Formats: sequence, structure tokens, C-alpha cells
Amino acid sequence: MSTLLKLKKINLKYKTGKDSINVLKNIDLNIKKKETVSVVGESGSGKTSLIMLIGGLEKPNSGKIIFRNQEITGLSEDEVSEIRKKNIGIIFQSFYLIPNYTAVENVALTLELNNFKNPEKEAKILLDRFGLKHRFNNLPSQLSGGEQQRVAIARAIAMKPELILADEPTGNLDTENSIMIANILFRYVKEEGSSLIMVTHDTKLADKAKRKIKIKDGKIK
Amino acid sequence: MEKLNNPSEFSLILKYALKDLSRNYHKISSIIVTLFISLFILSAIFTIEDSLKKELNDNAKALLGGDLEIDYNRNPANLDLVNQVKEFATVSQMIEFSTMLSTTGREKNKSLFTRIKTVDEKYPLYGNVVYEPIGAYERMQKEPYSILINESLSKTLNIKINEKVKVQDQNFTVIGIIKSVPDVSGFVAFGDWALAGKQTLEILKLNGIGSFLNYEYKVKFNEKDKTEEIEQRIEEIFKNDQKVKLRYPENSASGIKRIINNFSQFLSLVSISAMLIAGIGVANTLLSFINQNNMSIAVRKAIGFYSGNIKKLYYLQLFILLFIITVVAYGSSFLIVPIVDKYLSDGLGLNVYPVFSLLNFLKIFLVGLLVLVIFSIPTISSIDQVKASNLFRNVFQNLQFYYSKRSVVLSFVLLSILILLFTIGSEQPSYSLGYFAAFFICLIVFFLLSKLIIIFLKKFKSSPIISLKVSIKNITQTKSITPITVMSLGLGVTLLLTLALVGTNFQREIAKSIPDIAPDYFFVGIQKGEREKFEQGILNMDPNASIEIVPMVSSGIVKINGIDPNTYIKPDNDSYWVIGSERRSSWAENVPEDNLILEGEWWDLSKPDQLQISLDAKVAKDFNILLGDIFTLNVYGREIEGKVVNFREVDYRDLSINFAMLFNPRFAKKIPHEYLATAKFNSNKFDETEMLEIMPSLSMIKIADYLSKVTDVLNKVFIAVTLISAITIVIGLIVISSAIMVQGKVKEYQNLVFKILGFSKKQIIFSSLIEFVIIFKSVILIAVFFAVIGSKFIMENIFELVWMFDFKILIYLGLSIGFVTLVLILLTNLKYLNPKVYPLIRNQ
Repeated sequence: MSTLLKLKKINLKYKTGKDSINVLKNIDLNIKKKETVSVVGESGSGKTSLIMLIGGLEKPNSGKIIFRNQEITGLSEDEVSEIRKKNIGIIFQSFYLIPNYTAVENVALTLELNNFKNPEKEAKILLDRFGLKHRFNNLPSQLSGGEQQRVAIARAIAMKPELILADEPTGNLDTENSIMIANILFRYVKEEGSSLIMVTHDTKLADKAKRKIKIKDGKIK
Repeated sequence: MEKLNNPSEFSLILKYALKDLSRNYHKISSIIVTLFISLFILSAIFTIEDSLKKELNDNAKALLGGDLEIDYNRNPANLDLVNQVKEFATVSQMIEFSTMLSTTGREKNKSLFTRIKTVDEKYPLYGNVVYEPIGAYERMQKEPYSILINESLSKTLNIKINEKVKVQDQNFTVIGIIKSVPDVSGFVAFGDWALAGKQTLEILKLNGIGSFLNYEYKVKFNEKDKTEEIEQRIEEIFKNDQKVKLRYPENSASGIKRIINNFSQFLSLVSISAMLIAGIGVANTLLSFINQNNMSIAVRKAIGFYSGNIKKLYYLQLFILLFIITVVAYGSSFLIVPIVDKYLSDGLGLNVYPVFSLLNFLKIFLVGLLVLVIFSIPTISSIDQVKASNLFRNVFQNLQFYYSKRSVVLSFVLLSILILLFTIGSEQPSYSLGYFAAFFICLIVFFLLSKLIIIFLKKFKSSPIISLKVSIKNITQTKSITPITVMSLGLGVTLLLTLALVGTNFQREIAKSIPDIAPDYFFVGIQKGEREKFEQGILNMDPNASIEIVPMVSSGIVKINGIDPNTYIKPDNDSYWVIGSERRSSWAENVPEDNLILEGEWWDLSKPDQLQISLDAKVAKDFNILLGDIFTLNVYGREIEGKVVNFREVDYRDLSINFAMLFNPRFAKKIPHEYLATAKFNSNKFDETEMLEIMPSLSMIKIADYLSKVTDVLNKVFIAVTLISAITIVIGLIVISSAIMVQGKVKEYQNLVFKILGFSKKQIIFSSLIEFVIIFKSVILIAVFFAVIGSKFIMENIFELVWMFDFKILIYLGLSIGFVTLVLILLTNLKYLNPKVYPLIRNQ
């Protein structure tokens, strides 16, 4: 399998007043295409910061991030957005659906942004695939946590991205919903051949990934 | 999945803008309301102005009374020349004069100085005379001793149809009431007037200058004739007649047009003030709206939306919203026109209809767009501060106004365009610029005041009263609405107080001049041989009356240093009235008591055969006249040259006898003249009707009546202007209440904490009260300061009248505004007084 993502000597610091905290220190990481990776570690270890950097939502203080053979660290915000909207899907712990959009509209938004014809039709197909046929026109406030996360996953994978970033995707769900979400996510990755980087505290979920990375004090152990 | 070949980014943004707007409009209702009110006012002003101008232009011929007007002013016409015009066009003769009209046969008869218009059977050449009963107008043309009076005259003297009235020494029958005449542009529109047949002139044998006789001939061209050719032909006929002025339809109603322009300029400035105050609210509400959408913005960024596109999304929503509001506001403004039409058709006989103007619509939209963009730039720019990475942290920072160098420059440019839009083309551009300068100085001062209050209160921490502590905390907290409250309320209050102070000063100035300086009556039409008879008549009724009698001659300035002044002095010159028509002039042996000589010498007695002129210094300044300049005057058809020998300070406002021009008596006494007199009485024994018995052709003008009419009109104008200006307060209050509502969640949460801590509702209300008192007290003090400076400037520099501080009106208005604001604040806060505990503590 060829390399999809390469992180070279990545350092990330956050400034808190006059002081600064080294969140990530000299991170080197390679992710292959179709690879599933779980990132584990204690709270504050730098897991979320790592996937924020990979998603191009933060810029490192030093080092290089190469995605699909293109260095993204030096790109402008809009250029990174362009890469993200086509190739990277992100799933959040708190779902973050747009509150006044229906389930279909939340999913269609990504497709529409990528100029798809009949985005709503495509969104419905996806939601149907995740068992949400009866929830097409419901607002997020009318959905359960599990349903919201399924809509969020549908939104993230709508573009069939090569890389899916998931930050504690089951963190806000009960056990039953957590299992269902994990199954959906891993089944999809397997079927579509996307790579997955998933931050989690859940060891069972972490074990589902082919590779497990442990971060401690900003370093990969 | 199928992709579009050539997708449009704009159509995507437009689609989402429409979707978001349709779902979120209720969250920005205060933006909608304030924008609608201010755009509606602006639309109403533009629509009314346009409708009026269209009516005036469409009816220019009717307003002028013909295709052309031959105006001989105070001079009898050269009938040979007029008859030449009659050979190829229809000519209607119209002679107006002023005289006393009295009731007859009553126990106590009343008289009134009335303008009477005598017309021939061809009148009106254009338009219609509206009167009652049917046939009255035709009867007036045929029957001698018949007259039609207007509604005002009928009401003032309580005259009924078929009642007899006396004009000079003749009895006339009132055979009807006139509702309106078409040619209001050159005629008295308001006040007391009457219409009579041309035979009336012969009946009354009028010839005195005191009757203010005015000769006009209206001309209607034959339909087949070319207008320009006929105009040239008429110009050719009258080219050597210095006494005549030809008027054309495009010049008709120029006075009314000027009033409309001035009035609409002022009201436009008021409405733009309201819009700018609304802009403060727009910025605040929009920031809150964007803060509410913080997460949605972050999600959009996370899935690949460009920050610029998200900003475009918000701008587009505002654009669509503004377009809809403008359409509704402009459309609604058409509903105002029938109200104006009712008033104008009663008063002027003008009928106005709503006129759609694409240019006006675009102008209103552009004004709205400029205000909206200026105030939303720092708000929408804050979208750049939203980070998609916040979604991982579950923490959303509160956005603040964002000012980059680029946005500041852009705002400044847009603001300059807005100011230019209201300045260029306005009747008085310098006043508009001054108004904007004053507005922005006030805005900055009120902003600084709010900061000062916060800084001062931050230092004032140790208070034993818990409600005071809470109110201080509310005022000084980071997201306090103090600056918005102080600015929006301050600007509105300042404008209203300034106008109120100008209004009361104006009224007082008019009122005070009556008892102090002015005589009780002006008398005109005293013939040369009637002087003693007049004096005796007055003194018989009141032996202690003080009488002033001066000779009077009618003269017109034909040339100044050999040049016709009408060729270079424009009608907008303050002193144009001196050359606009013939003026009454007088002469005096000595310098009049209240006329100081500012330059030159009084009469040169060594030159009795030379006409020497003493000129009003302001007229001299306005016309750029120097001592020694030569005036060519037309006195009863004879041209006489006179030399300007001195400039006098003349104050017409004292309402005593004042003339722009005085002549040296040794020369002037030779000119045929009559007398003008004033009288101030020490008792109530003077009887107008009795005086008319002695001198039937005498005209009497009761100063108090005229001043009360002027005061009445001014009162109505000031009430209307103040009411319209109160719109700024209304907008200010909406901005404040929306700012409170924007803070609603925080307020509700705060009140919940207070509730848990054992705070009573009374204490919470009391803290709101203290908060209000602290802010309002500061606002009102600064507003009074600005209102005093503003009104003083307007009174002393624009109206050139005395300014006085009016404590009563400030207290009255200040308390009223304060009370309304307080009630509104308490009502808006009321719904946050009973927070539901469970949802809040569970963070739902």
C-alpha cells in the first residue's frame, strides 16, 4: 500500500499568555492508503491536536505534513479548505450538525459544496444506508445521539474521502449506539477503501483499528 | 455520483443564503424592524417629493395659468402690446389687489385685509376652479357686485352664501365659496382671498399703490402653433418694455419647489440619522447572530467552505433581506401619498398620486446597502476569528468586532459615499455637510462618554447596596450594552432636544415682537389729501394712539450701473425680493431712529436735484453694491437714475416701518405718492369698520392677526418636524431593547444565579433602575449640551434670531423620553425575571 499521509518532525506549541506549551514534539508518522489507525493516550496528551493538524485546521510550528504527495503546511487557509472538502472527512465527538438544517440538508451541504448534481438525492441514499430513512427531514434536535452521529458520519463520508478523521466518535454515546457507530464506520472504511485515523479513549474501539498509536506528553510512543 | 460540469459558486452561496435567511429571519427581527422603519421614512420622503414635483411639472401650465405669463407687476399694462398677442393667442387678463373686506348688517361687523383676484371670462386657461354652489362662478362673471370667497375667509368672518359684504365703499353679494383655483403658483395659496369678475375693477375705481394692484396676462397658444415660435414672437413684442416680465411654465411654482426641496432635504437628513442609529443596532444584533451561528460557521469551515465564502453568505443574506425590506418599505410609502393628497387638495388644490421611480428605489436601496455594509463590515469580518478546530475542543470563543486596516478604509469610503449622496444635489449642501459633521461628532462623544462611565464605575467598587453593585457590574462587564445604549439614545435625544429648543425659541421670538416693538396696525392706501383725515379718524377713537405716517412711492430697480440686475442676480439670493418686483420706497429728512448708518453719509443737501439713495446694508452686501453705484429706477413708468450714498442697518423683524430704499426728500417730494401709516393704540376703542366708514379705500393690516397666522403655520411645521424627528428616538429604543434581548440568555442565567442566591425580584428591578438612572443621567446631560450648542447655532447663524435657554421644554421632553425608555427597559427585562431553573442548570 502506498503512503497517503506523511508527518515529518512536527512540533506544535500553544501560547498561554507569556508561556507556551509544547503539545506535539517531533512527531513522525506515516499513514498508508486504506489503513485504519487509532490514536490513544491520556487527556491532554496531544491526540486531538494531532488530527487537527492532519485535517489542516491548525498549522504546526515546525515540520512538514505531506498529504497525497503534496505538502499542505505551507498552503493558505483556502487552499487547505479545497483539499479538505474533497479528500478529508471529519467526525466529531459532539456531532456538530447544523441545527436548523434537516438530516438530508446537513449531508447534502458537503455534496453541494463539491458541485454534485442532485445532492439531496445522494444524501438520502447515504442516510438510507445508515438506517435513517425515517429521519430525512428531521432537524438535529429531533434526533437521538446515535442518529445524530450517523448523520455526521454520512456527512463526513459523502464525498468518499480518502482520509477520515474521527475524534472520539462514540464519546457522547451509550454502549449500544457506540457499537453501532463503530460497526458503521469500520464497515464503510473497509467497503470504500478509505483510511481512518480515529482518536478514542475506548480500548475496544481502538482495537478495531489495524494500527494503534499511543501518544504521551506530545510524543508517539 | 454525477458532478456538475461548470458549477457556479455564486448560485451555491445564493441557495444557502436563501435557505438560512428563511430559517433565521426571526433571530434578526430587530434588524428587519429598524431597517424597515428608517427605509420607510426615507421612501415616504422621496415618494412624496417625487409625486409633488411630478404634479407640479405635469400641471406647470395650470399652475402658471397659461402657456406664458405677461407680468406687469404693479404697472398698468401697455394694452397695445397685449392686444398684439391677442391676435394670435388667447389672453386672459387678471388683476389682483388687496383691500379690506367687511361684513355688513351685523351688530358688530368685522373686517379683514383680503387679496382679491379679478378675472375675465376666459379664466382659467388651464385647469379648473372648484367652487360651490353650481353655477356660482358663471354668475360671478356676469353679475356685477357678486363675489366668491375662499373657505378660509368664509370661516374667519363667518360669512354665508348670499350674505352681503363691503369692499371699500361698495356692497357685494357672496354668491359662492371657492375650494381651489388652478394657478396657485403666482397667487395666494393660504390665507384669505376672493375671486371677482373683471367688472369689479371698474366698480371700485382702483388706482392707488396701497391697493397692491398687480397686473398679469395669461396667454394660451393655439394648439397648432409651435410653442417656441410663439414664445419668440411674444418676446419680440415686449423686448422694449422694461416693465414687463415674461414667465414660462417651467418657472411656475418655483417657490413651492424650493420649499419642497428644503423640507425634503431636512427630513432626509433626519431619516438618515435614524438609519445610522439603526446601523448601531444592526452591528450589535448581527454580532450576536453570528455568535449564535459560531458552531455552524466552524462546521462549514471544517467541511471545506472558504472563510470568504461564508462571509459572502452572510453579506448575501443581508443583501436579500435589504432588497425585500426596500421593496416593502418603498411600496408602503405609496400609502402615505393619499394622506398628503388630502391635505394638499384641501389647501392648494393639488392632487398628488404615487409615482414609481426606479431611480428613487435604487437610491433608497443604495442608502440602505451602504448603511448595512458600513455597520456589518466589522461584524462579518469577525467570521475570520471562527476556527474549525474549536469543534474538537468544544469551546467557542465570543466573537468581537474586527477592524482591519482594509475594513476601516472601506467603511470610511462607503461612509463618504453615503454623505455625498445626501449632500450633492441637496438644496443647501453646506448645511447637509454641517449636519453630518455634527452627527458624527455627537456619535464619537457619546461613545467616549460610555467608555468614561465604564472606567469611572470600575473604580467605584465599594458600595453597601447590593443592587447598586449589580448595576455597576452590568454596566462595566465586558459585553455590556452601555455603549450601544448611550450612542443610540444619545443621538436621538440630542436631535429631538435641538429641534424642540429651536421651535420654542422661534415661537418666543415671534410672540415677543408683538407687544414690545410692533405697532398694532399697518394702514395703506392713504391718499395724498387724506393724511389729516386719517390722523383725525384715529385720534377720535383713541386720542393717545401713537401714529407714524410716512410717504410711500412704488419703484422698481431696472438697472444697477447700467446692467439689468436680473441678468446676474439669481432668485436664490437672499435679497432677490428687492429686484424681483416693484418695491415701496419712502423718504426721510433724518436718519430713522432704529436705522444705523453703517457706511457713507446722509443726504448731500447741496444736490437737491439729484436722486440720492440710502440702501439696506444687507441688500448692498448681497448685491455687491458700492457707495456711488448708480441705480436706474422705474417710478410710475419714468426711469430715474439715483446714486447710492449710504448703507443703513435695517431690522425688518421689529415690524415697524422699514424700507430697503430711502430717497432724499428734496428730490422725492416731487414724485406722486401716497402714505403708509402705523398706529399703536392705548385702548380698545379703535374700530376697523368705523374707520372704513371714514376712509372706505383704506386697507388695514392687524399685526397680531398676521403674526398669529404665521405662528400657527410655524407651530404646525415644528410639530410635524419634531414628530418625524422622534423616529430617531423610536429607532434608538428598538436598538436598546434588541440589545437587551441579545443579552437575554446571559441576563436570564444571571437572574437565575441571583434567584438561587436569594435575590428578590424587587432587588433585580431596582438594579435595572439604578443602571438606567446612571446611563440616562449622563446621556441627557451631554444631549442637553449638544442641543444648546446646536439650537443656538441654528437660531443665531441661520435664522439670525435671539436664542434663549428653555429649561421647561428640556425638563418636559427629557422626563418624557426617560420615562418611555425606562418602561421599555423594564418591560424587555421582565421576561428574564422568572428563569426556569431546570433547563438552565442542566445546560439545556
